[in-house]
Amino acid sequence: MRRLEMVLSRLAWFFPTMAGLIVIVFLISNVIPTDPVRIVAGENATPEQVAALRVKLGYDKPIAIQLLNHFRDVLSGNLGVSIYTQRPISEDLAKRLPATLELSITALSLAILLGIPLGVVSALRRNAWIDQVLRVISVSGLAIAAFWLAMELQFLFSMKLRVAPLNGRIDGFGPEPYTGFYVLDSLIGRDWESLGSALSHLALPALTLALPAAATILRFARAGVLEVINSNHVLYQRAMGIPPRLIVWKYVLRNALISTVTQIGLIFGVLLTNAVVIETVFDWPGLGSFAVQSILQSDHKAIIGFTIWTGGLIVVVNLLVDLLHSVIDPRGAR
Amino acid sequence: MTGSWRRTAARFLGDRAALMGASLILLLVLAAVFAPLLSPFPADVAEFHTANRLRPPDGVNWLGTDRMGSDLLSRILFGARITISIALIAVGSAVLLGVPVGLVAGYYGGWPSDLLMRVSDIFLAVPQIVLAIAIAQTLGPSIENVILALSITYWPFWARLVYAETRSIKNEVFVESAIALGASSLRVMAMHILPNIASAIIVRTSIGMGATILTAAALGFLGLGAPPPAPEWGRMIAESREFLPEAWWYATAPGIAIFMVVMGFNLLGDGLRDILDPRIRRAVGRHA
Repeated sequence: MRRLEMVLSRLAWFFPTMAGLIVIVFLISNVIPTDPVRIVAGENATPEQVAALRVKLGYDKPIAIQLLNHFRDVLSGNLGVSIYTQRPISEDLAKRLPATLELSITALSLAILLGIPLGVVSALRRNAWIDQVLRVISVSGLAIAAFWLAMELQFLFSMKLRVAPLNGRIDGFGPEPYTGFYVLDSLIGRDWESLGSALSHLALPALTLALPAAATILRFARAGVLEVINSNHVLYQRAMGIPPRLIVWKYVLRNALISTVTQIGLIFGVLLTNAVVIETVFDWPGLGSFAVQSILQSDHKAIIGFTIWTGGLIVVVNLLVDLLHSVIDPRGAR
Repeated sequence: MTGSWRRTAARFLGDRAALMGASLILLLVLAAVFAPLLSPFPADVAEFHTANRLRPPDGVNWLGTDRMGSDLLSRILFGARITISIALIAVGSAVLLGVPVGLVAGYYGGWPSDLLMRVSDIFLAVPQIVLAIAIAQTLGPSIENVILALSITYWPFWARLVYAETRSIKNEVFVESAIALGASSLRVMAMHILPNIASAIIVRTSIGMGATILTAAALGFLGLGAPPPAPEWGRMIAESREFLPEAWWYATAPGIAIFMVVMGFNLLGDGLRDILDPRIRRAVGRHA
């Protein structure tokens, strides 16, 4: 019953949070002393043209009315038209979402596969040389600028060793589009050539994104294991003669997983943050490179649209994490 | 009080990681303060020598030259000034805004503080760089705007932390007795609660400095930071991109500079957490 209550209260908060997000993004873009109409009109527009455009775009109305209009637009999925692509912004974002999701989910999986085992090893061999080495690596992983790491990986693997493509998402036209996820699509369509190409293009950007995430997961998994390994119930299990291997794999690992899952929302936020710059370096056609292009074009509405979409994505992920957490750790439901 | 500080100082000197972090930060401060004296070519920040462009590191240009023929070492040393002022002012204003908000919200409670915390949740829901990009883009590229964008996006981190810490100690006996003795709310918050949550704030601030420097560098990389020819590290890396296969040193030098500084703040933050927070020390051990 408690769990249901928690789920409902989380769901209930989803809408005010999204509404707040929309308001804050709107206010930030309006309080700032630049005139969006002038930007849209261009430098050569006459004052009359600017005034006419102001009425047409609704910027002549009081700010409260503008906010209401903005709400109506966002709720009906209408984010305006991109100056750069001349297409509706929602369409552009929807088309690019799978690319970003494919990249960040691959990176997250890689980070979990690397981070959790290494974190467990690090905790079990606490203060031994392997723990020290892993500590240095994980602290370094969090200190590297993602865009710089991306460039250095390109330099090494694409330019010098020539084992990975420099940028882009695929060679040729790509597989038959079922889901927009190239790896999935080429599996569905049994298009092995596209699969190989998609995977090789995915390798470097996913690795770049995964490294700081893996470092974070390693630290939380290590702390989670250390917390439980000194606890009374593990002492009791030891005293009962349960083999250490079983204690670690069955009881200790579970705790490491719990402390990691709670952080996945946070890690996903970091992944999306880094994706913005990484996608630009690797020319990855996702949400991040769309945002950067919009910045370069001073495309006001596109940036607002992007902010709302990414914010919404993170809110949804956090909601899912909370639900998942209440399933694997019943204590949290209280 | 002095005894406990001496113990803290002794523990600090015994912690290799914290000490190394502090040394790296000291290096940054020295580079920033003495940039004009340390740089082999101080004028190269604004001057170009196109004949010398893209020279690999040698005895004259220790870290090589950039696309304008300017000495990279000199530019990186002057860049330390930009990095340190962005980090100090942005994090400083985020702390000055976030700490009072968290303190007041945590102390009084009720619906206004719920609302305040919800607002900070919304800020935390958007990736920092996205909001910072939106703000910096609308304001136009300059150092001041980067600082403003970062302060607006970072204050909720401190508000959240201080709120949670205040909530957890406001019912302690020493707070209650201060109130019973007739201390004003302001006095209780400033003299009794704040000193007891200071260590958590200090740790968060040190790690926040590292994160802020990374975000600022990313903004610079995207062209939203200081306009050229400012020797901003993120922008230098962006400029080096088109020369990547040939001029490997061009991107390497500023990248390592960013790495060392962020590493410094992270190590210091980690070390301070071990030293200042006894709860974590007991639960997870010194190297958590």
